[in-house]
Amino acid sequence: MVQFLVDVLIRAVDLALIAIGLSSVYSLIRFPNVALVQYATTGALLALALQMAGLPLLAAGIVACLMVGALAVLLNLMVFERLLRAGSAIAMIGSLALSMVFSAIFLVTAGPRAQRFELDIAPPLRFLGARVTEHQLIAAAISAVAIAGFALILFRTDLGRCMRATATNSVLARATGIDTRKVTGTVVFLSGVMAALGGIGIAVKGEMSVHLGLDMLLPVFAAAILGGLGNALGAAVGALVIAMAETLVTNVNFGPIFGQSLLFIPAAYATAASFLLLVIVLLARPYGLFVSEVKRV
Amino acid sequence: MSDAILKLDGVAKSFGAHHVLTDVRLSIGANEIVGLLGPNGSGKSTLLNIISGFSRPNKGDILFLGNSIAGMPSFKIAREGLVRTFQLPSMPTRMTVREVLRSGSREGAGLLDAFFGARRDDAAVDELIEQFALGAVAHQPASSLSGGQKKLLSIAVALRTRPRLLCLDEPTAGVHPQLRGRMVELLKTFSKRGVAILVVEHDMHFIRELCGRCIVLDRGEIIADCAPARLTEDQRVVEAYLGKAAERQKVSA
Amino acid sequence: MSEFLIHVAIMACLYGLLSLSLNLQIGFAGLVNFGQVILFGCGTYGASIAFSHQLGPVAGILLGITFAILVALAFARLGRNLGADYWGIATLAMAEVLRIIVNNEDWLTGGAQGVGGIPLIFGDMPRPAGPLLTLALCLALLACAWWLCNRLTTSRYGLALKLMREEPQLAASLGYSLSALKSQTLMVAAVLAAAAGFVFAHYVTFVGPDQLVASETFLIWAMVVIGGTGNHLGAIVGAILMQFLFAYVPFVKDALGLPSEYVAAMRLMLVGGGLLAFLMWRTQGLIPERVGETRHV
Repeated sequence: MVQFLVDVLIRAVDLALIAIGLSSVYSLIRFPNVALVQYATTGALLALALQMAGLPLLAAGIVACLMVGALAVLLNLMVFERLLRAGSAIAMIGSLALSMVFSAIFLVTAGPRAQRFELDIAPPLRFLGARVTEHQLIAAAISAVAIAGFALILFRTDLGRCMRATATNSVLARATGIDTRKVTGTVVFLSGVMAALGGIGIAVKGEMSVHLGLDMLLPVFAAAILGGLGNALGAAVGALVIAMAETLVTNVNFGPIFGQSLLFIPAAYATAASFLLLVIVLLARPYGLFVSEVKRV
Repeated sequence: MSDAILKLDGVAKSFGAHHVLTDVRLSIGANEIVGLLGPNGSGKSTLLNIISGFSRPNKGDILFLGNSIAGMPSFKIAREGLVRTFQLPSMPTRMTVREVLRSGSREGAGLLDAFFGARRDDAAVDELIEQFALGAVAHQPASSLSGGQKKLLSIAVALRTRPRLLCLDEPTAGVHPQLRGRMVELLKTFSKRGVAILVVEHDMHFIRELCGRCIVLDRGEIIADCAPARLTEDQRVVEAYLGKAAERQKVSA
Repeated sequence: MSEFLIHVAIMACLYGLLSLSLNLQIGFAGLVNFGQVILFGCGTYGASIAFSHQLGPVAGILLGITFAILVALAFARLGRNLGADYWGIATLAMAEVLRIIVNNEDWLTGGAQGVGGIPLIFGDMPRPAGPLLTLALCLALLACAWWLCNRLTTSRYGLALKLMREEPQLAASLGYSLSALKSQTLMVAAVLAAAAGFVFAHYVTFVGPDQLVASETFLIWAMVVIGGTGNHLGAIVGAILMQFLFAYVPFVKDALGLPSEYVAAMRLMLVGGGLLAFLMWRTQGLIPERVGETRHV
């Protein structure tokens, strides 16, 4: 049971970072940006490259995150603002196309084989009967701190107030003197940083590959939509729900229902579970489990 | 007075705590041209949206040709014969004016007709083009029309559906005064052919020339239902538009 | 004609069918369908299931068409209340769920291994007659599909679609049922895609879940957007262009002496980069749509 909770939490934290980024940016740019998940992979690959170039892991991570944040802002200015003029559907398709370009670049720079960070291998720890590696703990801790930091910015700073104002009503926000372009740029930057951090966290746990981002695409979307797009905290809860669904689906013994001692759903259906959940949510409650500020599904 | 084809009974609509319409009762006869007036915020557009199915009432009944249409989706209501136009008539960029008019009639426009349907020309479209003076632009993209022409086109295509009741949403807004005269003539022609008309409007000249009867809304309630000439005699109407007596004194002083 | 060229031409025809199908959806009905490959898969698996149960090819095409129509109806049901971009994500999610199911349910679909040994069309004929006849068949099919789509979109039904895609409110106010129009278009498009799938299965003689990956959908999207949405010639031109470019990528890679991962990377660049470029700088595609070509207006 504790192992189950630990697994769920770790997976949830991975998803939450990117889902929160996706959700908060959505309320400002008004289209689901598929390329965001590729920022995660970019962050991981950059951090890896920097570490191989000699930087200590911590510095490599920080620099990589900042670089990805800047890249996110640049792409938003050069690509997405232009695409948005033709509508949100075109912008979404464009973001999908852009993520394919990212994949191409990943393939030729990092190759299709998995990569690993230079980390000490330590035996897993035992925590209340569950197995957890030190790296998983560190990655989860960093992500949790990042999420907390983001929440702090959102609710306790002027910037956060401006962000929430622009998200609710950008015309009114501009009328009250808020520089919506700067606010949007800042949120885009932060979402890039969070995504990169998420990618680095996953890589630190030894699960790095060039498919890292795309594998997360649908679960992250499911989490963000579940929590209500535009609702950053909702995205965190959504991530938890998705992580639970994925873990539950393959860990629950359905045997007793069918009169057998052991009956599990095959592991491959874990991802299918979150996709199905996404489809069901879109059908039943397209605005998410909670009422979100942004009603535009 | 002919039989009522549209009847509203106790229709109410609120958005949260904001009551936009309260206990609206009205009826429209088969050969009438009725104006729906009221100051801004009185609920005219909401009422039109509810009648045409683009919004749902919270309470009340709407009977059209004897059938209850409250809560019906807009396309079904249109099929019953209740068709409306929009205040800002946006027109497609990749269809010609003629094609838009043709799409007004759904007969022969089904999926199977595409393969097995016979060739049909549409004399009604030709007539409408002539009546609404759209001949010069008939083969141009519909979006390239001027604002006034788009309004005329939207009325024409609504009329192509051969409605029993045509609801117009501020048809003269942004339209050249000369075109307004033509609009009045055209609407009267179609009224004689048996189309009942409900017009949401601000332009009093237009209303006086066109409508036999006016319904005035103020803050969600009907405060008058009479001939246009008698509107200025109605104290409530005057107050609704000009404010209470004391304020009026202040204004005129 | 070399065997390779015949093969590429046959594949171009089949992709042409898939592009015509997708173009009906995005170019005319405004359906941002990212599950297109699954409709194709209904055709391939219809063939394979009929073959596995010795039901004969007629049963195969009927099964394929039936599956495709069922999936199309499911997609349409998803679309009732969703904006175009979210419906796109939902179809992507559903397509992935179906692919995972196909990948796991060995008893029905042969699982990850797929099903091989499907009878080859014109298999009794000696080469090159067999492939040439197959090419002739595919060209004939493509021509029929082109005629069908053209007939559909230049009819009054086509007017309804065109009105719906740009001015859905106006269409509804004239009595058009938007959900009916969308379901119908989806079903017609699904039949075209299933037909392509069925012929494909009997040409490559093998059917497997790897043929149903999302990247295939993205390729078809690139074909339609680059060729030109809203016109059938554009879809076909896009299909031929992209298919030939794809086929010759390995030769380019060899000529430039690049390592093998460049094949996948170059293809990704062609699809993603091409799609993005046209979305940003030439939304009408290579062959723009012509206005005013309806019959008997």
